[in-house]
Amino acid sequence: MKPRHIFVWIVLLALLIATCIARLMITRSTLGELSFVWPDSAYIGYRLVPMFAAIVVGGALGVSGMGLQVLLRNPLASPWILGLSSGAGLGVMASMMIEHSRGVGFPEGETIGAVAGAIVALVAVYLLSRGRGGLDPVTMVLVGVVVSVICGAGIMVLQHLVPMGLRGSFTTWLMGSLPETMSYVRLGILGGVVSVGTLLLAWWGPSLDAACLSDDEATSVGVHLPSLRFRLFLVSSILAAVGVIIAGPIAFVGLIAPHGARLLLRSNHRMLAVGSAIVGALLLVGADDARQLIDLGTGRLPVGILTSGIGGVVFLLLLLRGRGKV
Amino acid sequence: MRLHISSLSVRYGKLTALRDITASAEGGKIVCVLGPNASGKSTLLRCVAGLQTPTRGKVLFDSASLLRLHPRERASKVAWVPRSSEVGGRFTLRRVVELGRYALGPSPARVDEALATVDLLDRADTIWHEASAGMKQRTSIARALAQRTPGGLLVLDEPTSALDLRHIRVVAEVLRKCASEGDLVIAAIHDVALAINLADTAFVLRHGELVLAGQSSAVLSPGSLGEVFGVDLAWATDDAGKRHLVTP
Repeated sequence: MKPRHIFVWIVLLALLIATCIARLMITRSTLGELSFVWPDSAYIGYRLVPMFAAIVVGGALGVSGMGLQVLLRNPLASPWILGLSSGAGLGVMASMMIEHSRGVGFPEGETIGAVAGAIVALVAVYLLSRGRGGLDPVTMVLVGVVVSVICGAGIMVLQHLVPMGLRGSFTTWLMGSLPETMSYVRLGILGGVVSVGTLLLAWWGPSLDAACLSDDEATSVGVHLPSLRFRLFLVSSILAAVGVIIAGPIAFVGLIAPHGARLLLRSNHRMLAVGSAIVGALLLVGADDARQLIDLGTGRLPVGILTSGIGGVVFLLLLLRGRGKV
Repeated sequence: MRLHISSLSVRYGKLTALRDITASAEGGKIVCVLGPNASGKSTLLRCVAGLQTPTRGKVLFDSASLLRLHPRERASKVAWVPRSSEVGGRFTLRRVVELGRYALGPSPARVDEALATVDLLDRADTIWHEASAGMKQRTSIARALAQRTPGGLLVLDEPTSALDLRHIRVVAEVLRKCASEGDLVIAAIHDVALAINLADTAFVLRHGELVLAGQSSAVLSPGSLGEVFGVDLAWATDDAGKRHLVTP
């Protein structure tokens, strides 16, 4: 490893630790005053859970985005390009609708709806994108967009059918937010899934490097592209689904994190897999820190709004920088 | 080592790219594939390299079908140079050449040697997207050189199309060296003069059919090539007494 890369790793880890400590210490009183103190043991759980959730979700989205950018040969690919969030949204909406019509709530109804919707969308994308040579990246993007549009139409129909109050809670889910209460066991299991996914992509790093060549070239140097693409699709989808289960559709982290990591670590995918996880976690914990500081008089903003807003501006700057305009 | 192409046909929908091609070639030779645009040269090379499944017929390399091999195993027998390379991501030229060792294990010495052969050792840290077309083409050739196993198959699709005169000569010498080490070198080449200088054997295609095949000195004549390409050609002799094919 080059000294420059060692320096980058140290800085990234230091920044992640600093943002995590900040997340635990930033305190806003009921009167709206900001302070920077270590919380009482009675309250620390309400900060530890969102902090760990941000690390898990940010890491999952970062690695998933990196995998999908290689799979789809598209630098603009993100975990939501395959219709996963729209499918999950439709699933959540359907579960709310069922709960409302039956008058009883099911335990984990939203989670089950999100997972079921995401799986249906992904299976549809997988089946419709399969050609003779395995998954075709261009078809996959087009099918993903179409599946998103169809799910979007379904969401609108259901929104039209449900009462106003339910529309509000669904809109909140769509904004994406980190939970303040969640069992550590569940968080640990999902964190384990993300760690395994990250290590798998790091293990496949040399194959991902070779898959950046054209199909013929990648095959000629020895990559079995149909197998690699299926594995990438599976792992990237599972990681994105973990993000949706915990926090709903958090935008832009999956798009920005791999680009940030690539900027710092070049294109060695073994390092990029771990780098994308750390940059993703850093972005989401940082955005969660930032939202503690913003008070618009209506409570704290959902973190998804910040990732979309800040992420969009950062991405535009990266794009313009690439074109030499800034 | 022997390559045998038997009754090979490739169709893309209604378009016939190759029609009933039968030919063979031995290791240690350079085979140049010539023909007008859209005559099926690239399709033939992709079939030979095991990258394209033919509609009918087969390609056998030492009596075995390359298509049936796992890409890793095939990579140890066949090295491929495309007409133009595509590289996503932010790779240096050295990393692109290193990818030639993906299936065979890292070998910094082979990578350095390949980069030096194509005059890129001192510019190996250039980012791919910032390199010129000629540098990219030389990098693709270096990747194949780092990958090739002597006695194997080296397939090149117009490997000199972006090169200057000096590097065309460098590549010609490299291909001769590979053939002298037992490789079967098969290259599609548009430059007829270069093909005449380089080839031991020539395959000439037109409209997907193999219209001429054999020893290059016998096959590549003004009359035969002129008819295939639809132009008038003639031999001209320079001061040193060497013959060149020219358009009068």
